Amino acid sequence: MTTFDQDRRQLVALTDDVLRAHCGLDHLRARLDDDTAHTAALWGRLAETGLVSALVAEDHGGAGLSPAHLSGVLHSLGRHAVPEPFLETAVLATSVLGALPGPVADTWLPRIVGGDALAVVRLGELTPFLPYAADADLLLDLAADGSVRAFTREETEVVPVPSLDPLRPLARVTVTGEGTLLGSDRAVVTRTRSLAVAGAACLLAGAAQRLLELTVEYVGVREQFGRPVGSFQAVKHKAADLAVMVDMATAAALSAFDAVDDPDGASRAAAAKAYAGDAAARANVDALQLHGGIGFTWEYHLHVWLKRVMGLAATYGTTTALRRDLARELLARVTEERRG
Amino acid sequence: MSAPDTAAGVAEFRAEVRAWLAEHVPAEPLPPWTEREGFDLHRAWEGRLFEGGYAAVDWPTEYGGRDAGLRRSIAFAEEYYRAGAPERINMGGLYLLGPVLMRYGTPEQCARWIPDLLACRTIWCQGFSEPGSGSDLASLRTSAERDGDHFVVNGQKIWISMGGFADWIFALVRTDPEAGRRRKHDGISFLCIDLRSPGVEVRPLTMVDGTRGFAEVFFTDVRVPVGNVVGEVGRGWAVAMSTLGFERGAVFGDHAKFSRDVADLAALAGARGLDEDTHALDELGRVLVQTEVYRANVYRLAALAEAGGELDSTASINKVFWTQMQHDIFDTGLRLLAQDGAVVGDPGSLPGADAATLRAWSRWHHRYWYARAAMIFGGTNEIQRNIISERVLGLPMEPRR
Repeated sequence: MTTFDQDRRQLVALTDDVLRAHCGLDHLRARLDDDTAHTAALWGRLAETGLVSALVAEDHGGAGLSPAHLSGVLHSLGRHAVPEPFLETAVLATSVLGALPGPVADTWLPRIVGGDALAVVRLGELTPFLPYAADADLLLDLAADGSVRAFTREETEVVPVPSLDPLRPLARVTVTGEGTLLGSDRAVVTRTRSLAVAGAACLLAGAAQRLLELTVEYVGVREQFGRPVGSFQAVKHKAADLAVMVDMATAAALSAFDAVDDPDGASRAAAAKAYAGDAAARANVDALQLHGGIGFTWEYHLHVWLKRVMGLAATYGTTTALRRDLARELLARVTEERRG
Repeated sequence: MSAPDTAAGVAEFRAEVRAWLAEHVPAEPLPPWTEREGFDLHRAWEGRLFEGGYAAVDWPTEYGGRDAGLRRSIAFAEEYYRAGAPERINMGGLYLLGPVLMRYGTPEQCARWIPDLLACRTIWCQGFSEPGSGSDLASLRTSAERDGDHFVVNGQKIWISMGGFADWIFALVRTDPEAGRRRKHDGISFLCIDLRSPGVEVRPLTMVDGTRGFAEVFFTDVRVPVGNVVGEVGRGWAVAMSTLGFERGAVFGDHAKFSRDVADLAALAGARGLDEDTHALDELGRVLVQTEVYRANVYRLAALAEAGGELDSTASINKVFWTQMQHDIFDTGLRLLAQDGAVVGDPGSLPGADAATLRAWSRWHHRYWYARAAMIFGGTNEIQRNIISERVLGLPMEPRR
């Protein structure tokens, strides 16, 4: 095993430890009861462990790691349905600020590293609603022409909308001020989009994995006709089909996030997110079906992950939209090749 | 297992393979191997691959391979399919029998069979299924009774891929019916049989699309030397199971074949003027995404294997995925061709299409039926789902005998 692999494994183990201790069902329950998602306490834990600053350069107080270090971490965050803007702040915002150095980055990166500020990133049509915007101190707006502007809280108007997933609150954001131009670089926009799309795929794969685990656990103990329902082939084959999709979605998501800087990074991210959306949709339907009535209750926690996968599938590119874009690219390429 | 490949080593090997293929791949595609003429041409092509040193690049050098690591093996497969080289007819022999001989065979058996297998001078086929033993393979009844230094074989094997063209068969036979009555997996032996032996009758099976790529084989008092048993007598089940991983999963590099199929599918859609048809884009996008996911999985499994991980538990997942994906690709093509899908390979369905696209369409229905077969062979996908649910997910066993 390489040092790199060992580092990645340790980061996932660290994340799992922190989340088991501080983001268990009791934490999620309390958030639902309070009607809040983000808490300074949990975010502070994530910052303390260095996960929030993993991608930040060392001269800004971070660990200077590459995205490839974090794919497994994102998967774990999805598995635990973490109600925090980790992808938005710790991956997307830190990457944008790191790529466009200047006074804005110098001001905000240390705050993010310290766990004292949250930032969200707007990516055109990929983000009609911004998750966790109501908690954010900074908005980074990445336009298709490559320009990147930063808006402080005072320069935005944030209108919360009723989010399907209450642990991942959404808002409509309008900018009211001029903002500050950080720079103009199409490569930064493309890379950030790929990070968002592949990162969401990792979160989705993790959340779908949890739905599978909850389901396997339940059908293993729930008895009807004198035996566990999980011993009936009708149930086992559904679970097996789901396991195939979740396993493949995980393979594609993690490798796409790791390969975000490869020449085909954008299309790999798109394929991974499209498939993760499919797998998550299957997990959503089958997990509830195989749980039966208990899965419908507020008291049982399945709904946390049902809504998490639905919300994530609708974010950072839907399966349908991503597939169509990929199909258009392929058609154009093949037509070109076969004409020549 | 060989050492992991370096990026530079892979790139150099890839360039070498690409150059060799550019020089040697037949300009005109070979006729289908399901008829004798096409089969012989494919066999000759396998011979050329062997002479070039490309028959089985990942095989150990001591057996005539190049000891290529997984990354080089994948690169070879990618280049092979990219070049549009002929379908491989020797893969079954090379990867179902070859590794078994290397692991369980005696030095004499290896020396006797492996060189001709590698060079495709001998065509081997697999005799596992019987008319009454499909998913419940261990219930097999073909018997091999000991008579001095021979076994006398009686019974019938079916669904034998390339059986009509093969020279030898490696078969599962029951050498100890008594042990089998106690536990059906016991008392089975892995036996190599020369199909030219007296008492062997090979009957080609005409399949659903009229091709004759499969056969059934009847054995009547066929005398086979005891020395043709691979592994221990009566312990053939374990030997056989070690080969199934190939059919189910560990075929590194076949993602490139599916990517090529999806490119053909895109060309079909383009030739039909469906470039802006959202339904066609959705369908094409769906299968394209699956092939990209499969590619990611191939590289994940390669990394896992390089790190010394076991792939057995992934084999069933892989088999369900790739066979469904393959079916989806060819089924989608037929649906995109709409009413013209009812006509086999008609060039009139694709006015103005280039030669490569027409060629793909001419083979489309055959490939479609093969895709249907793949969901059945190598352990049906339903059996794979049992394996996944019990061995990967840990769900309770089905009651079975």
